[in-house]
Amino acid sequence: MAEHLLEVVDLTVKFGGLTAVNKFNIAVKRGTIHALIGPNGAGKSTTFNCISRFYQPTTGRVLLDGVDVTRMPASAMAGLGVARTFQNLELFGELTVFENVMIGAHVHAGRSWVEVLSARPPGVVEHVEHLLERTSLTAYRNTVARNLDFGHQKLLELARALAIRPRLLLLDEPAAGLRNREIAALDALLTDLCRREGITILLVEHVMQLVMAISDRVTVLNFGTKISEGTPDDVRNDPSVIEAYLGQEMAHA
Amino acid sequence: MTLDVVFLFLQQGVASGLVIGSVYALLALAIVVIFKTSDVPNFSQGEMVMAAGYIALYLLVFRSMPLWIVMPATILAAYAGAALFRRLVLNQVARANGSPVNLVIATLGLSYVLRGFVRQTGFGDTPRSFPPVVEPQSIMIGQAAVTTLDLVILATAVVVMAAFFWMFKYTKIGRAMRAVGMNPKAAQLVGVDLTRIHMIVWGLSGGISAIAALLISPKVLMTADMGSIVTLGFAAAIVGGFTSLPGAVVGGFLIGIIENLVGLFISSRAIVLAPFVAIMLVLVIRPQGLFGGRVEIKKV
Repeated sequence: MAEHLLEVVDLTVKFGGLTAVNKFNIAVKRGTIHALIGPNGAGKSTTFNCISRFYQPTTGRVLLDGVDVTRMPASAMAGLGVARTFQNLELFGELTVFENVMIGAHVHAGRSWVEVLSARPPGVVEHVEHLLERTSLTAYRNTVARNLDFGHQKLLELARALAIRPRLLLLDEPAAGLRNREIAALDALLTDLCRREGITILLVEHVMQLVMAISDRVTVLNFGTKISEGTPDDVRNDPSVIEAYLGQEMAHA
Repeated sequence: MTLDVVFLFLQQGVASGLVIGSVYALLALAIVVIFKTSDVPNFSQGEMVMAAGYIALYLLVFRSMPLWIVMPATILAAYAGAALFRRLVLNQVARANGSPVNLVIATLGLSYVLRGFVRQTGFGDTPRSFPPVVEPQSIMIGQAAVTTLDLVILATAVVVMAAFFWMFKYTKIGRAMRAVGMNPKAAQLVGVDLTRIHMIVWGLSGGISAIAALLISPKVLMTADMGSIVTLGFAAAIVGGFTSLPGAVVGGFLIGIIENLVGLFISSRAIVLAPFVAIMLVLVIRPQGLFGGRVEIKKV
């Protein structure tokens, strides 16, 4: 078992002439919450898409528990215990809340004929109900996903990701668009998932209130390059970070 | 026209319409299942039917193989051919430039290749007819005259459709197809291999086309241009909403029945127009098709 569950080594992504990510390195320790922050266009989501295999990096490697997954298809990641959510939500809009989560759980439902035919393998339904309860979605169990409000849709995506029973959870702006009360609940849920169940979490986030409260480590990206890394306090006081966010003049003021 | 004649025509039109409509329904199903999972209208569907028909003809007539080998061999060949086309050609096109237009042009390319190939072999030079699966004997149902062959066509088509719907609804692979149809990104996220699903979808579509070819060939003259029958499959798919599988089936039967009723009540020369009038009526009155659900409003 490698000390770091996830390692990204010298990741470079070029879109034509634009270098979105440039020789970026990040190592996420097992059982921790690691935040990836940075101004808009810094390359956070691009990095995320490389890790979850939706983009192919120009150069560089992605290691999961010491195993190189850089050539794996996106669909293989669920089986390896990597789940993610999207910034702009990718739900099965016509299905109910329950069905959306069931689909995630199917990855572990096996492929035997009996299970294919019985369609709802025992144990899985209970697990799904449990996840709905944890994400406070039980009341919306039979609601069609597209009819949920934005906050609940985000929770549903999280519940579906958890149904995969992930080792590594990649969250792309989980708090964006949520109200303060919802952010507090999310804060508690993520901390609980990490501390009690040992799920390693890497999140991209702009809501500093959440990032600073729950992260063990923070990495700051600007123009595709890492400019700072450390504990939330280290990063908060790093002049180069303040400069990246507020501009040069403010930093020196 | 007396009332007796009206009843007679009605019965005959519905009976014949259900028979030919079942074949249109199969074709519409083959078109819709591809469109639903990849947003690509497959313009080579007709040529897939035609090519499958000629494979069967070649094996049966020129290689004198028995029918019980020819039928599964034809279906398998169509399955494999279509799946390979998806894997080897369309996947490459999608990777190079993912816009659906390029994929549609590629399917158009396949239709020319298949037609050219059949012309090249020379089998398509003279219109041929295909020996029927069963000797057609006339049967009366009510006042409608049908043949045993008609009944076999209708029964086979219904069984194939039922099997397809069962697969789509209850098996893991069918569920994966539905997931891809709803949201390909999310489907990958929960572990669905897109390449594999697309291959299977194309294979199934090819297989269904082959079954349609085997059913329809004894009733029509085979030429290299017989693929144009798929226009009626497209008509059925449009009437049904183009993304709805039950819609495709209902559309198929409707088009079949409308064609026959128009032929009996108006004129046999009006038959070719009937499906297009039906499409236009549906598009004007209910643009999303009979089973197309609500009209989607896109945020721009």
